[in-house]
Amino acid sequence: MKKLAENKPPPKKRGTVKIIEERCKGCWYCISYCPTKVLVVSPKLNEKGYHPPELKEDPPNKVCIACHLCELFCPDFALIVEEIK
Amino acid sequence: MSEKKKTTMEILREKVEELLRTDRLPHVWCPGCGIGIVLNAFLRAFIRAKMDPNKLVVVSGIGCTGRTAGYVNVDSFHTTHGRAIPFATGIKFARPELNVVVFSGDGDLFAIGGNHFINAARRNHDILVIAVNNFTYGMTGGQHGPTTPTGAYTTTTPYGNPDRPFNIPHLAISLGVPYVARWTTYHLMQLQNSIYTALHRKGFRVIEIISQCPTVYGRRNEMKNPLDMMEYFRKFSIRKDDATAEEMELTYNGKIVVGVFRDVQGIPTYEERYEELLRRAQK
Amino acid sequence: MKPGYYFWSGDIAVAEGAIFAGCRFYAGYPITPSSEIAERMALRLPQVGGKFIEMEDEIGSIAAIIGASWAGEKAMTATSGPGISLMNENIGLAVMTEVPIVVVNAMRGAPSTGLPTLVSQGDFMQARWGSHGSYEIISYYPDSVQETFDLMLDAFNSAERYRVPVMFLLDAMLAHMYEKIYVPPEDSVERVERKRPTKPPGEQLIYEADEDLIPPMPRIGDGYKIHASGLTHNEKGYPELTPQAQERLVRRLNEKIRKHQEKIWKVEEYRTEDADVIVVAMGSNARAVRTAVDAARNEGIKAGLLRPITIWPFPYKYIEKYSVDYIVAEINYGQIYHVVREYADNKVELLPKMGGELHTPQEILHALRRYKK
Repeated sequence: MKKLAENKPPPKKRGTVKIIEERCKGCWYCISYCPTKVLVVSPKLNEKGYHPPELKEDPPNKVCIACHLCELFCPDFALIVEEIK
Repeated sequence: MSEKKKTTMEILREKVEELLRTDRLPHVWCPGCGIGIVLNAFLRAFIRAKMDPNKLVVVSGIGCTGRTAGYVNVDSFHTTHGRAIPFATGIKFARPELNVVVFSGDGDLFAIGGNHFINAARRNHDILVIAVNNFTYGMTGGQHGPTTPTGAYTTTTPYGNPDRPFNIPHLAISLGVPYVARWTTYHLMQLQNSIYTALHRKGFRVIEIISQCPTVYGRRNEMKNPLDMMEYFRKFSIRKDDATAEEMELTYNGKIVVGVFRDVQGIPTYEERYEELLRRAQK
Repeated sequence: MKPGYYFWSGDIAVAEGAIFAGCRFYAGYPITPSSEIAERMALRLPQVGGKFIEMEDEIGSIAAIIGASWAGEKAMTATSGPGISLMNENIGLAVMTEVPIVVVNAMRGAPSTGLPTLVSQGDFMQARWGSHGSYEIISYYPDSVQETFDLMLDAFNSAERYRVPVMFLLDAMLAHMYEKIYVPPEDSVERVERKRPTKPPGEQLIYEADEDLIPPMPRIGDGYKIHASGLTHNEKGYPELTPQAQERLVRRLNEKIRKHQEKIWKVEEYRTEDADVIVVAMGSNARAVRTAVDAARNEGIKAGLLRPITIWPFPYKYIEKYSVDYIVAEINYGQIYHVVREYADNKVELLPKMGGELHTPQEILHALRRYKK
């Protein structure tokens, strides 16, 4: 997965992940299954005491490619992926 | 930001939100519970099918999955333990134009509700059954249920489960159910597509979804992180649509055969047969 | 059914009375002595465009009629004691989610399998308290085939009006007894339909009660996005597991019946005006008592019969009305007896019978002779 992100040319499709933090329960499926690994555990806690994910991109390659996989995996309806390009 | 045209996936996500009672979120399910994933897949399949949400009825029994009815923003009923199927039968039979979906768990549908399951399947009511199988009774704290694999550890099988679990697809097929499929929560798109197909089929349709319960099942069976169970599904599931009954059997931490095991069309539903009966009676 | 005279059993009168009242959905499971109700419904409902289904058990039957009622149908099931025992959990669901249904119980000898073909009145308290929790329910109990037919209309009307399950009691004697009955013209009676929401979807809260304490009932498929749950819920129908929500909901569920109880009460007072002693009897047992009262009057004993037709909510004001001694003649070892004792000023005597047969008029007369002055 790491290789894939580093060696490929920058992806054409770009997106961003909106995180509804109060719905998150910190299962981190999104973080584990993100193909470009742009989601990381946020140091902050939400009101239920869980660490939600946060978006941490490292352009040009380590960016959200709007694949929507995290949105499908999220059991808590806490993620919204939007395409920006 | 300039106005941009929304993509199909973005519209889908917006409509998911409309079909949820968002004022009730976050829901009751534990971190990493698979039921939310199944609900997400169901809602997306339903939206893609372009069906009228006003005609959709979701009926649930009792238990973790039984809480699903409380989160869908359509006519929804949280009934008594095991009775989701006969409750749904009454709705469907009274008003055949409604799109009736039973969304419940393995204990509710196959233990306490087992009699209703086999008889509704036999009569071939036009109902879609989404059966979330998490191998345990989650709501009550992780006791063993009708689907707990032999040998598994639960709060009521501290020395390992001596019971044999149900082979749900095999059971459904033996009852003549026209659409039988099994997926896991890892099979996001296959599951969604399968529900989409099932929504367009007629008759009693059963989709079993192997789901993770990290909180009370996984932690007693060496999969205490949500991710551990998801990885188990990823590594141990095999798609085989023509699987034999033996292959469909689930074993303790063994392989999980998934697929669409039966998809036949043209079997008259109970509601259709009754329409015919009405014509004869009123001659 | 064409208006006119017919020769029917109590069971047939239940089925025909239900159809006459507007029932178009029946789900049931065979059990003696109520099976003939299902048989009649299977024959007749399709003729009027209704739905009949024989379910896999009584639990499935009552679950199905609750679903059908939400779908907008007037729905019923019929069974006997063992079946009622199985249905009770879902009677609680119907109470909690306020669903109009009619459940017929043809009482037979009990406990357990008891006397399947013989009469009993052992299910009064079960009708009232069968499901867990504190709730009010409506229950009727006729004493003739004609009254069975007529009372089915009241049963459906009350279920619809108060959004509550109605337990229609019958007994094995009445269920299988044939009598001549009159069916009135279709348009000669008032059929109550449940209150429908007046506000459009989105504005209507699903469990927002009006002043009469009864919330309007939306129908599935009309866009109201109903959520009904057996959990303690708020006006939106959403589960709210707090003592405050419990207090609000359960108090209203009880009050909505208590508030209207005098309208629900039906009682027969037979020769009670000047009576020194009144026999309280119900159902077919009251027929023997009526004969005994007449015989006692011939002997100069001022006896009367008080027959609650509405068993629940119990028409207690009729007991309070008379300052006389009461004899409660029932086919059990004392159920309504305790209720009468709660409201009577004077002595209350129990004349029990364990079941299998009615009291004979002689047995009643024997008890009444003690009151000869």
